[in-house]
Amino acid sequence: MSETQVPQVRVTCTVNGAAVDRDADLDRTLLDFLRDDLGLTGTKGSCLEGECGSCTVILDGAAVNSCLVLAAQTQGCKVETIEGLANGDKLHVLQDKFLASGAAQCGYCTPGLIMAAKVLLDADPNPNEQVFFEGMEGNICRCTGYAAICEAIRSAAKEWK
Amino acid sequence: MISSQPTGIQTDAPAAGPLVEPSTTPYLERPHGPVGRSERRIDGVEKVTGAALYGADLFFNRADLFATIVRSEIPHGHLLSVDSTAALKIDGVLAVYTAKNMPPGATNRQGLIHRDHPVLVEDKILYRGDAIALVVARTERASREGRRAVKAEYEKLPVVGDMDDALAEDAPRLHPNGNIMGGKRIRKGDVDAALAASDVVVSETFQTQTVDHAFLDIEAGIAYWRDGLLTIHASGQWAHEERRLVALALGLPIESVRIITPATGGAFGGREDLGLQVYLGLAALKHPGKTIAMRYSREESMRARHKRHALRIHYTVGAKSDGTLTAAKITVYSDEGAYASTGPAVLRKAASHSTGPYRVPNVYVDVYGVYTNNNPTGAMRGFGACQMAIAYEGMMERLAERLGMDRIELRRRNLIRSGDAVTTGQIIPLATGVECMDAALRQFRSKPMPPAPSAPHMKRGWSLSVICFGLGYGDGFPDASRATVRFTPAGRLEVATGGVEYGQGLLNMAGQIAAEELGVPMSLVDVVWADTGRTQESGSSSATRQTYFTGNAVKIAASELREQVLDIASKLLHVHPHELDMRDARVVGRFDASLVKPLDEVLQAGRERGHSLEATGIFKPRTVCEDYETGQSPRSFITYLFASHLAQVLVDTETGEVRIERYIACHDVGKAINPQSVAGQMIGGATQGIGMALMEEVVNVDGVMRNPNFTDYILPSFRDIPIIETVILENDDPGGPFGARGVGEPPLIAATPAVLAAIANAIGVQPHTTPCTPQRVWELLHPEEAAVPHEARFGLAPEHARMGR
Repeated sequence: MSETQVPQVRVTCTVNGAAVDRDADLDRTLLDFLRDDLGLTGTKGSCLEGECGSCTVILDGAAVNSCLVLAAQTQGCKVETIEGLANGDKLHVLQDKFLASGAAQCGYCTPGLIMAAKVLLDADPNPNEQVFFEGMEGNICRCTGYAAICEAIRSAAKEWK
Repeated sequence: MISSQPTGIQTDAPAAGPLVEPSTTPYLERPHGPVGRSERRIDGVEKVTGAALYGADLFFNRADLFATIVRSEIPHGHLLSVDSTAALKIDGVLAVYTAKNMPPGATNRQGLIHRDHPVLVEDKILYRGDAIALVVARTERASREGRRAVKAEYEKLPVVGDMDDALAEDAPRLHPNGNIMGGKRIRKGDVDAALAASDVVVSETFQTQTVDHAFLDIEAGIAYWRDGLLTIHASGQWAHEERRLVALALGLPIESVRIITPATGGAFGGREDLGLQVYLGLAALKHPGKTIAMRYSREESMRARHKRHALRIHYTVGAKSDGTLTAAKITVYSDEGAYASTGPAVLRKAASHSTGPYRVPNVYVDVYGVYTNNNPTGAMRGFGACQMAIAYEGMMERLAERLGMDRIELRRRNLIRSGDAVTTGQIIPLATGVECMDAALRQFRSKPMPPAPSAPHMKRGWSLSVICFGLGYGDGFPDASRATVRFTPAGRLEVATGGVEYGQGLLNMAGQIAAEELGVPMSLVDVVWADTGRTQESGSSSATRQTYFTGNAVKIAASELREQVLDIASKLLHVHPHELDMRDARVVGRFDASLVKPLDEVLQAGRERGHSLEATGIFKPRTVCEDYETGQSPRSFITYLFASHLAQVLVDTETGEVRIERYIACHDVGKAINPQSVAGQMIGGATQGIGMALMEEVVNVDGVMRNPNFTDYILPSFRDIPIIETVILENDDPGGPFGARGVGEPPLIAATPAVLAAIANAIGVQPHTTPCTPQRVWELLHPEEAAVPHEARFGLAPEHARMGR
């Protein structure tokens, strides 16, 4: 099969509040759709098989690995990515706390971690250890270790609205 | 002493006994600006908002063509032919290039030390990642389909799957000079006589594993050839060396290549060898004017890239009955994989760090690099020193057990003190291993031990490690860093360095030092980095060297610029420049508070008078090559770092699972330029070291990597790592910028042996093979039921490895 033969699908969804309505390859992952079709490169790919969480986005309120979701599966869905989090120049509280705690070093896992943490705290702003780990353990960080990330999420939780 | 943890109440503490107080020596020129403060990351906002552009983020709206690499399907053989007919029939595939299509003058070779690694294979295939062709297509999909359609014909040769295969008498020769890449030796005193006269002799064979860097930001980038300039945007660790290597491989003048490093998501040594830069460059040369994009999958990244050396270490140590070390006899075999990479330097570092921070009067070391058909092995955080730390700390634990002596006291007795020499004979003016160990113990005592586990199969244990590490390339290798500091027409302070920021905090280190020296707030500082078109060479971001080397270069440049500014100001204020200081974006009188001039006005006056408002610094200290016969050198490394880690573990003796309950990392960093960033390096490094101790392992079977993905290559996750308590000691290095030494590698080096020793303390059996997976721990506990990899460990063992067992 060559490139011209890939079936196309119409993808209709909202991404960070903006309506999206465009064709995509039927086998396009949400990750590649966001990055390479829409230019939203804040969402990162790393393991590309759902192990590391770098590509985490929010799909109708749930944290998903966008490398394991097809763009075609997002019909009518609400997609939130790291680009939609800040309000103009004003950082989201998680972004601010990640900065203040030194939780972003190389920064590659950061967008995915922040999106996963947002889902965690939206569901439970005061998570116990078990809930915290269940919410975050799908995300791997290779260079920062986890202490600063935990601190950032805990301090964001204190100001969670 | 800075401690990130509030110290708790004193309780009945483990490991009683007097501790040495940390002896922090205040720096004479006490910083009053950003040095020593946890300033926010200069690149922080773009990283938390997703705006930072990493290699693969450059594709969007830029990429015209896509390239992919066809890699060998066999680990060893001859490449007979490459048939691209089917590939070229695929819609969108434009070209398939092989070694025959290299540009005129191209060497078609890469390699940091030996240029032994073909860019595209001409004949001999030495590992499964060897590149045999390059496909260029209009879309990424077509380039991948083209890759699948390229047919290569091979003549297979017997696979040299491990070091035993390579050293067998009838082993196939992998390189013209045979299967031994090279070696390194240390000869100091009379080891055999000293061992014979020792009260106890202990031997052990350690086997460390192959480790993958597993940085999250997979290799990706873009390149274009326009107006006689090849520009490559791709992550590496040493932009200026990448420029040289690409130029050499492709037959271009160096000035015709420009490397621009995008945001980089981790490196850990894994980006030291060339990755896709040279392939991007080749595709760009073949398609002038077009922007070529290229990225690896995770599997390709893991199959293609070099790895950490797996070392087999035969270690024999002798001591007097009071614990005083007398001699160490060490033989090391190192799996070099297919090509040399930075292996020769790793071997040398393994030798020079083979007895760590301990006084050993008689030392005999042989290190051999052995070629196999596995991935090349090269640079990774720890660089030979971390494997040796597993061995020398493992020997301290065994020796303490044999002597019936406290393991802390045994270390205290043998740790080098200021003025003692390390293995290479180099005198260490300020040795703070004891301070680090005691600071870690003090932190440990600050909280009570939890109650003993009630389940009888759960065993708790704790122990520690002490390590030292020589920073920089050392060993006589040319090592220099340059930096340029200038005030821009807009009044901002711009620092330019060739060093790569991959997360470790280089930008803040350089920016904070310049801001400190020139008295400007961080909000006015910009750092330009790792663009060969805009910065001067600063050496690699590796070897724990950037704080010491580039930090010094920035400080030298900034103090030169400061002289210029104070000179201008002295004419405006009519005083001698020595009576002036720069603080808070003003020039102020040192002794006369009424003398104040805003920096803006001074800079404007300088511009009007034709001053450059720019200065360049070069820091180029000399080290002395280790003697070929004896391995001795008066100054093999520019300076040494000391650290101690302490781990407390809980082992499930039924399953072999190890949980780390408590973890303390103590490092003497000289001066923490940015304490938060230093603690971040300590925690991140310790996390990788814990991964090496417990789970990370590349499994190679007959030259095939069996786990080239994150499903089967296990990395530490949230649950695996406890809150790491960090203790920073600051014993100024007189040669470092504001007294700073550095931090990068030691956190990993100290971590693995601390965890292994804690496991030994818990289960009463000493581990010898890493990682200590549940299965290996279980096997240690049930040796009669386990197939002990005895042959692997002792197959090549020299005689001394069986002494004193």
